[in-house]
Amino acid sequence: MVVTRRDFLKSSITVGGGALANSFLFGGLETLVKADPLRLAAIDEKWIPTTCWIGKQDCGMLARVIDGRVIGYEGNPAHPRNRGTLCPKGVAQITSLYDPNRVHGPLVRTNEKGVSGTWRQISWDEALELVGSRMAEVIAKDPGRLIWQKGRSKAKSFYDKAFVKTAGATKLHHGAFCSDAGYRALEYTVGMHAVLSPDFRYTDRIISWGWNVTSGGGNKMCWLTWPQELVDAKERGVQMVSIDPRQRSAAHFADEWMPIRPGTDLALALALCNVLIDSDTIDREYLSKYTNSPFLVQGNGFFLRAEPDGDDDEGKPLVWDQASNSAQPWDADGVESALEGEFTVDGAAVKPSFQLFKEHVADKTPAWAAEITGLPASQIAQLGQMISDHANIGGTIEIDGMTLPYRPVGIMAYHMAQQELGFQALRGMLMVAMLIGSMGAVGGTLSDFTWKVHKNWKGLDNISITDSPNLYLNKSAFWPINSNNSSLVAKVVVDPEKYGVAPKELPEMVLLHHVNPLGSFPDRDANVKAYETFNFVVAIDPWLSLTADLYADVVLPAATIEKYEGPMSAGTMYEDAKAMRVPPMKPMFDSRGDIDIYLDLTEAAGLLYDEGGYLDRLNSELKLKDTFALPLDVKPTAREILDRWSLSQDLDGGIEFFEQGEAIQYKGELSAAKRYGYATDPPFGGAYPHRFYGESLLGYQLEMKDLGVDKIYWQDYTPFPIWRDLTLESSPSEFDLYMTSYHMIEFKQSRTLSPLVRELSPTMFMEINTDTAQALGIADGDEVKVESQNALTGETRSITTRASLRQGIRPDTVAMPHHYGDFTVHPWVTGRGPTPNSLFFTGEGYVTNTADQTYLVKVRVEKA
Amino acid sequence: MPKYGMVIDLSRCTGCRACMVACKVENNTPQENFWMHVFRFEDGTYPDTRVRFMPRPCMHCENPPCVDACPTGARFTREDGLVATDFETCIGSRYCQAACPYGVNYFNFDEPSGRYYLDWDNTVVPPYANPSLDVPYGEEQLKVAGGGKARGVIEKCTFCVHRVEDGRLPACAAVCPTNAIHFGDLDDPNSEVSKLLAESESFRLMHRFGTKPKVHYINGKAPRTGMVEIEQVGGY
Repeated sequence: MVVTRRDFLKSSITVGGGALANSFLFGGLETLVKADPLRLAAIDEKWIPTTCWIGKQDCGMLARVIDGRVIGYEGNPAHPRNRGTLCPKGVAQITSLYDPNRVHGPLVRTNEKGVSGTWRQISWDEALELVGSRMAEVIAKDPGRLIWQKGRSKAKSFYDKAFVKTAGATKLHHGAFCSDAGYRALEYTVGMHAVLSPDFRYTDRIISWGWNVTSGGGNKMCWLTWPQELVDAKERGVQMVSIDPRQRSAAHFADEWMPIRPGTDLALALALCNVLIDSDTIDREYLSKYTNSPFLVQGNGFFLRAEPDGDDDEGKPLVWDQASNSAQPWDADGVESALEGEFTVDGAAVKPSFQLFKEHVADKTPAWAAEITGLPASQIAQLGQMISDHANIGGTIEIDGMTLPYRPVGIMAYHMAQQELGFQALRGMLMVAMLIGSMGAVGGTLSDFTWKVHKNWKGLDNISITDSPNLYLNKSAFWPINSNNSSLVAKVVVDPEKYGVAPKELPEMVLLHHVNPLGSFPDRDANVKAYETFNFVVAIDPWLSLTADLYADVVLPAATIEKYEGPMSAGTMYEDAKAMRVPPMKPMFDSRGDIDIYLDLTEAAGLLYDEGGYLDRLNSELKLKDTFALPLDVKPTAREILDRWSLSQDLDGGIEFFEQGEAIQYKGELSAAKRYGYATDPPFGGAYPHRFYGESLLGYQLEMKDLGVDKIYWQDYTPFPIWRDLTLESSPSEFDLYMTSYHMIEFKQSRTLSPLVRELSPTMFMEINTDTAQALGIADGDEVKVESQNALTGETRSITTRASLRQGIRPDTVAMPHHYGDFTVHPWVTGRGPTPNSLFFTGEGYVTNTADQTYLVKVRVEKA
Repeated sequence: MPKYGMVIDLSRCTGCRACMVACKVENNTPQENFWMHVFRFEDGTYPDTRVRFMPRPCMHCENPPCVDACPTGARFTREDGLVATDFETCIGSRYCQAACPYGVNYFNFDEPSGRYYLDWDNTVVPPYANPSLDVPYGEEQLKVAGGGKARGVIEKCTFCVHRVEDGRLPACAAVCPTNAIHFGDLDDPNSEVSKLLAESESFRLMHRFGTKPKVHYINGKAPRTGMVEIEQVGGY
């Protein structure tokens, strides 16, 4: 709602102005001493509702506008994700809006690539002609050689979908860096496209695995919502265990800190499974009914199956029916499947997969895991006991008129998925949740906000491995399950033969949209080498990123918040809403809104109009009803398109619903029937039996071997997660410390270019345990040299930074904030120190199973 | 007349420093001046360590040593309990700074600069301003809102007098993502702050000096000797 003070003064608090005016113009303070009506009337201000532009959760904001200029932001109380508040970045973004160092107009490079750019500012017409004609040329030749990559994706229908489909471009993901191994593990095991969140509002015990819950945002959110949920849960008396090498991560709220050795989470998960099985804390009903744990496994590792029914059928997996003492199809009526035991079917010995798992973890005791994780065995056993004590197996709760399983122990995990064994570590953690039946249970471990099954539930179980993979090695014999990691793409570009990628797959032109691969992605060396080979690079960005500075041919200046963009989800685990970014003022400098830029670009490339053009694609991607569909021969504005979308959604007033309202369409609380796996009809969205046993992983392993790839690629494609020593452990012994990285809220998103934030934490530093530092003769604030080593290739990389001495970090671990450092060409960033991304390695030895990224490497540290 | 005060719930604070940034934007304070300051501490030795946070605004004391020390009356207590500064009367004696045990007074040694919120090169960025910081407030009708006003004067947290007079919460309280900072009338038993104080154990910083701070802390402990400050503002 655009409310002016004058409007407000004409109305009362309870009418007209409504809740917004009540809370914001005059709200909050219970006792008002005096509000001088003359002073209030003298200030001609507007409050324009809009949506934060920085992070991934698109918080609701109210822009205070005076004389057509935004002078500050407050949180929008109508938005479920931030409930009237903002994070440091959200408040500080006022400086991004007016930043005089933004790109002021379209730029074309005037010097060679690979060094800092010199630029000529050109008109939009000239720039669009230049980029459009080049794009048309590449597309005419082979659209797949146009690479499109976006950073934090907003309004995916416009960019990721309509544009990419129209152009036929190869889409690279925004990183495959923060949690992709976790996504793949969840998609494969339970069909959910997310990682792990506890059911904060109903749980009793939270296991915070990794640092996301108070510092990183974690699952689906960029930062603010999870700390809000956590403090409310703590206030209810919920206890939390924090498993993280660093105390700083969630320590303030943890009742117990378990400083685990980085990268050993899988061993801990297996030991917890051992404790749960040992204490018989097993939800047999869930396991038998909704997982493949009763499926009979043959000696070769594959399920015993019934005779196939037709050519397309591989035969239903069989279970041992205790009622008839015979093998029966797993879904046969009245079957009473055995979880344990050994049976003989047609002369062959078979065991339920649960029995195999029980045997697999029988020796994975707390004492065994203690050696690996560096945690005391007693602490591991205690955590297992805590889970056991609160699992409440068999217990139910009444919620929204349904009686649902109630398992009030929930796991929070996200960024910790990025480790060499990340996929299997998350599988191991899922097994902890599955043993007690807490996946999708009330109070238990949830994943996405609603129990919505992802296409990878089927896709990852039926991969046809190819020996001629594409640019990001999708379905390749190296990483059959693939997360589209652009650092790995860089390695492929540099050495396509190694991965059997044909030269015709290599990029001709790269379109970068708010993404800065050289700055943001680890393994900068690989990325630099790849960018050396790209012919034509275009950046759509408000700032000159490091990548653009070194390698862009053309830079198109995008607006920041001052544009129309949407629709975006504004929902949480408990509420549903859609948000819109409404421009609180005109674009600064000669920038344009992103949607307008795509309209311009597709027009310039001859891709805007007619059937199959961008407008046609927008009609289908935005699901515009016929009445409101875009004509295919007229170029609309971003506002007109979003107006049609709003009308198509039956919102009164079209886009004015958002402009005049609260920039949000609030849809109410999410019902339990959507949130809990047990509550959907059919349960778990029909995506079950859950893959407790990863039969297809074994199949991939055999195919990979057949295709002749090395052990390092196939060794972790195993039906159950198997702990092994990490490859990095073979670095020479002088590389005696583990280096990991983490988010720090002040610098969490590279869109937070703000001197206000820099003032809080101006330079890079490295956390190091005080005793470790003292043994190395390092004092707090000393400059240190940090050198990493690739355990496979022997390559070393080094940076210099400052030591920050801490008690709250493992003595064998050092850590630095990431996405931080010299990532762009900007006076507020220059001199801030190097990013730890320069120290990490991508690919073999550092990532297995899913082709994403590890934030872990062995280093040595010395006083510089 | 209400008596405004603050109740900070340490069990809800995540130490994120959103309040510090919101304060800077709201009040246009110069570089390195943090009227609201959130300290981050580490307590104990590995592995028995804890991280603790301590937001510290001006305490707006009922018995403010700064007011007593001020030679010109520039520092004064308003009727609603807000401790305010009239920069036009301030002669920069810095007695308030010496008298205050909380370190909340910031002296402008130089012409205020680096006020990132509003100070831009007007040849590049069109000018804009927050008019609320430029008008007089209170019975006294003095320009006591905002910072970065002049060289040679002292400035400090005003409890966002310009917002409070319009019935809005101070910027730090409004922005706090976890609702750790509460603001209201300490004299009204039905106010949120009074209720929180009634139901929680609370403390005030250096209360023993008789300053009677109107900032109360609940559900936490005061920093103590041996705790080590980490992630200092301004860094290395």
